[in-house]
Amino acid sequence: MADEEDATSSVQDADTFIETESPEVIIARIESKSRQVERLLRLPQYTEALETALQDAPSRTKDERCKSANWILVHRVLMASKDGEALLATLNPEYFDILMKYLYRGLATGDRITCDLCLKLHEKLTEKAGMGCIMRAISDTRNVV
Amino acid sequence: MAAGGVHQLAQCITCHAWNADLSMVAVCPNNNEVHIYQASPSPTSAWECIHVLQKHDQLVSGIDWAPMSNKIVTSSHDRNSYVWTLEGNEWQPTLVILRLNRAAISVDWSPRENKFAVGSGAMSVCVCYYEEDNNWWVSKLIRKKHHSTVTSVAWHPNNVLLATTSTDCRCRVFSAYVKGVDARRDATTAFGDIKFGEQLIELDLACGWAFGCHWSPSGNSLAFVGHDSTIHFVSDVGPTPRAHSLSLRHLPLRDVLFLSETRLVAGGFDCNPMLFEIDQNGVWYTTTFSVETCISIFEYSLYVFAAAKGRFKWLGNEVAELNLPSTTHENCILTIAPVISLVEKKAEKPVTCFSTSGMDGRIVVWDMNNLGDVMARLRL
Repeated sequence: MADEEDATSSVQDADTFIETESPEVIIARIESKSRQVERLLRLPQYTEALETALQDAPSRTKDERCKSANWILVHRVLMASKDGEALLATLNPEYFDILMKYLYRGLATGDRITCDLCLKLHEKLTEKAGMGCIMRAISDTRNVV
Repeated sequence: MAAGGVHQLAQCITCHAWNADLSMVAVCPNNNEVHIYQASPSPTSAWECIHVLQKHDQLVSGIDWAPMSNKIVTSSHDRNSYVWTLEGNEWQPTLVILRLNRAAISVDWSPRENKFAVGSGAMSVCVCYYEEDNNWWVSKLIRKKHHSTVTSVAWHPNNVLLATTSTDCRCRVFSAYVKGVDARRDATTAFGDIKFGEQLIELDLACGWAFGCHWSPSGNSLAFVGHDSTIHFVSDVGPTPRAHSLSLRHLPLRDVLFLSETRLVAGGFDCNPMLFEIDQNGVWYTTTFSVETCISIFEYSLYVFAAAKGRFKWLGNEVAELNLPSTTHENCILTIAPVISLVEKKAEKPVTCFSTSGMDGRIVVWDMNNLGDVMARLRL
């Protein structure tokens, strides 16, 4: 659910981020996720691999290295799975919003193959998650992936 | 009570407000004027424009009609407000200097009608009250608390707390206790003794612009919407508030209105009002009100695209004649107003009738007592 603020809390600038973890900790976590993802891809359990990759995505941090590291991981799963429909069919709805953000990141790369794939997945995800999901992906300027 | 009607009044309506006995409605037709219509919530009534209030220089952004004192307050992008009083058959304006350097965006009368609040693009909120000695409305500013435009303001039923939403994605609750205007005992609330302009709660729940906050009739709950297609409910508004958020499938909402403690209606870019209800466990959920047509906007955009493509190919009207899914609004809903007369207005009595206005220039009256009719209209 959502967090609550105390009556005495001070106003914070909209651009300040609360750095909860150091980039090194996040990188270490992404590396351990990466090993798990490779294991799941070999099985192959694509949806589980995607959920693992999307879990705890470093959206709160400002560190670009962490963000790219996690994007590479998500990209790896998306490229590995051939069937986009099956990939999304059993995906937990709580990951819809974050996946949409990654799809937009994929579209921003300009890479032909990635864009093709992301556009296809985008259509399927919109069918499942609705227009609201797109709104959340493009209007959120604070938690970028 | 009869089912409501649809009234096409202008190209676009930025805001509207009803008077005490529901015989008149004030409308801004997306310009610097306010039109007052002889109106009625009944579906068959024909509405007739009887007054045009011309005093603002720019777009009127907010209208509120005080039911007890029969005064209209308007806010405008020209950075001023006017309080209009009916003298004889003429509406007389009184200028309120808000001391703003940006547009005024929204306005709301306090429940006791001795104050009103104006949200503005100058990142501040004006609380205005009448000074009898000078025969003048004085504006007191809450400054340096918002980081962006204040999109809406809402008064708590206790006449002292003020909720605001802003494009810095937050909803805040302030004390708007004015010494000499409010009784001394009013300063003591759930938050203890409070001074003017004190920020009591800051809710950082939305990830997009926040719009349209509204208090429940008892003042225990507060709701606001985010431009990231979310709606947020805050209960037990006090030192330890509880928040509950819903992410929606649909396009974002713009305005909310509590019908009772357990029921809420919201409308926005999806063109259809949505109804929310609370269950026994205190969890809010969407009820069926507009679910049947929720895909319509998506389909509608496809139709529009097909029609435009058809025109491009000189296929003429063939495609345009397709049966468009008819929602009662054809564009974004901007304002939701309760349709309840002063005599019937009680805190424990649920509002059963409300009206919506939007960018398509229509005012639609919805009657919850006649939901069957409403549903039939939605399924057209």
